[in-house]
Amino acid sequence: MASCSRLSLHPFLSSASVRLACNRNVQVEASTAKSLYPPIVPSRTAKSKAAKRRVVTEFFEQLRSCTAQEKIRALTRVQRKKYVIYPHTFALNADRWYQHYTKTTFLNGLPEKYESASVVDESVLSEVRAVVCNSILQEHWHAKKGRTFIQKEQEQLVTPFLRNAVCGLKNLLAKESRVLTLSSLDFDPQVNYYWLRGERTIPEGHRRGRVEPMRFQIDDKPHSQIRIPQQLPEFVPLEAEISAEVPVITLAPDLLPLFRRQYDNHIFIGAKLEDPCCYGHTQFHVVPDRFRRDKMSKRGLSDQVEVSLRANGIASLFAWTGAQAMYQGFWSEEDVSRPFVSQAVITDGQFFSFFCYQLNTLALSPSADGNNSRKNVCWGTESMQLYERITDGDIVGLNDAVLKLLLQFLLNKPQC
Amino acid sequence: HHIRMISEGSCDTEDWRNDLGNPQLRIFRPTFNLTLVRPGKEQPPDTVQFRIPLEMTKFDVRNYLEKIYSVPVAAVRTRIQYCTNKKRNHLNQRVKRPDYKVAYVQLAQQQTFQFPDIFPEKDQKHEEGSVEEMQEKFMEDERQRQKSDPRRGGVTEWFGL
Repeated sequence: MASCSRLSLHPFLSSASVRLACNRNVQVEASTAKSLYPPIVPSRTAKSKAAKRRVVTEFFEQLRSCTAQEKIRALTRVQRKKYVIYPHTFALNADRWYQHYTKTTFLNGLPEKYESASVVDESVLSEVRAVVCNSILQEHWHAKKGRTFIQKEQEQLVTPFLRNAVCGLKNLLAKESRVLTLSSLDFDPQVNYYWLRGERTIPEGHRRGRVEPMRFQIDDKPHSQIRIPQQLPEFVPLEAEISAEVPVITLAPDLLPLFRRQYDNHIFIGAKLEDPCCYGHTQFHVVPDRFRRDKMSKRGLSDQVEVSLRANGIASLFAWTGAQAMYQGFWSEEDVSRPFVSQAVITDGQFFSFFCYQLNTLALSPSADGNNSRKNVCWGTESMQLYERITDGDIVGLNDAVLKLLLQFLLNKPQC
Repeated sequence: HHIRMISEGSCDTEDWRNDLGNPQLRIFRPTFNLTLVRPGKEQPPDTVQFRIPLEMTKFDVRNYLEKIYSVPVAAVRTRIQYCTNKKRNHLNQRVKRPDYKVAYVQLAQQQTFQFPDIFPEKDQKHEEGSVEEMQEKFMEDERQRQKSDPRRGGVTEWFGL
């Protein structure tokens, strides 16, 4: 009644009254409001798994903003016992194990670029034939060589032949492919790569029972390599679906047998980081005396000859392409944004095998491998005979297919 | 096996003197014994594990398997297992457990070997009306009687009236 008129207007005048202060849009304000407290993160120095995770994450974050040199140094600084993978092994069926450790699928034959019969210039092919024949005859016929030790036969016969052949072919084909003029041909380079893959439980010692990543190192000494300043084009797109599978091996590497050592962790493509020719083109490998065909068949391992060639190709090329990617600043947490491509030719003087490798992923360490669906691809051929035998200054049974493949390999050039 | 021919030539003492050193070692029937064992740790499918005498070498193992059993061998690796000399008997003398050599043989031509299950689990099914079956039933009833009432939910008899 009369009490209604005696209500004060005060609540309606003050803007800080309860009715006006009661705001319904709390969520919108909370996202834009400045929080009064710092974010809750785990400690950095506590003896806990969360703290360890935070330290590792911060280390990786800090690495992302470093130069390639600093990244390589930080990732290879600490020395620990690691499995040393030799590209030439006596181990049986080593190629399947190496495929697992490098996450590579192996495809028989070569990529479509070389499979489709391309028209090859006949004059260039005949020049190539002349260079190769001259190199072979020089070593086997013209130059008088005394007999050496059995373990040094390859070094005496095949190494100089390959030297002359590669040098001659590179200079010959320089007029066809401009990138070869700018390339760098090195003899007896070193190629090293160090990476983490898979986990193991430490069986004995003061760290028994803990889980640690497995470390691997490849130290390779190819016969020669050609490096170019631009990258070769990819064979398949980066995220392409490849039908072949990467073999999975659940057994410990010690059963292959692979042995562990501790020394400097090297990552090297054949030249230092500042070299302008930092992308790989082709590598040439010589089969050592121990793994020659006749020696393997004497030990009863004739079927392992192809296997050891494949293992050699996969290991050497993975090391080379991986090191090239590290030189560009990619590592396991920062995966490659473009595929790295390289080629290799493995020979024992008479038989040639050709390998192509495309590196699609570097993320092989346990933390990065969880949701990584990319895999590296390696194409390889069976060994093909270049000539049947050499008689009195003449080569019998020269195989033109091998020469054509050699020519195509060396003429592979990046798109301008 | 090898057959030795004894020649009936002249036995003039001055012509042959074989008392100057032992003849070359010929092994006609080896005294080695190989024992195929189940691997303690998981091995690749082409690897077979043997226990061999300490005096045998990798080449001996290869020749033994290839010539006597015609098993194609690709690679052999050996190691010697040292067994303890620490245990003591009732006279406080140290008792040595003998050492043995283990050979890991990898088979050629992509052959595989899986150690067989020598003691398979047998399903104990006695025939009807036999003594064993009645005994089994009796034991089963005893066990059931010993168990407490499942409706109590694991609570002991201490709690209760």
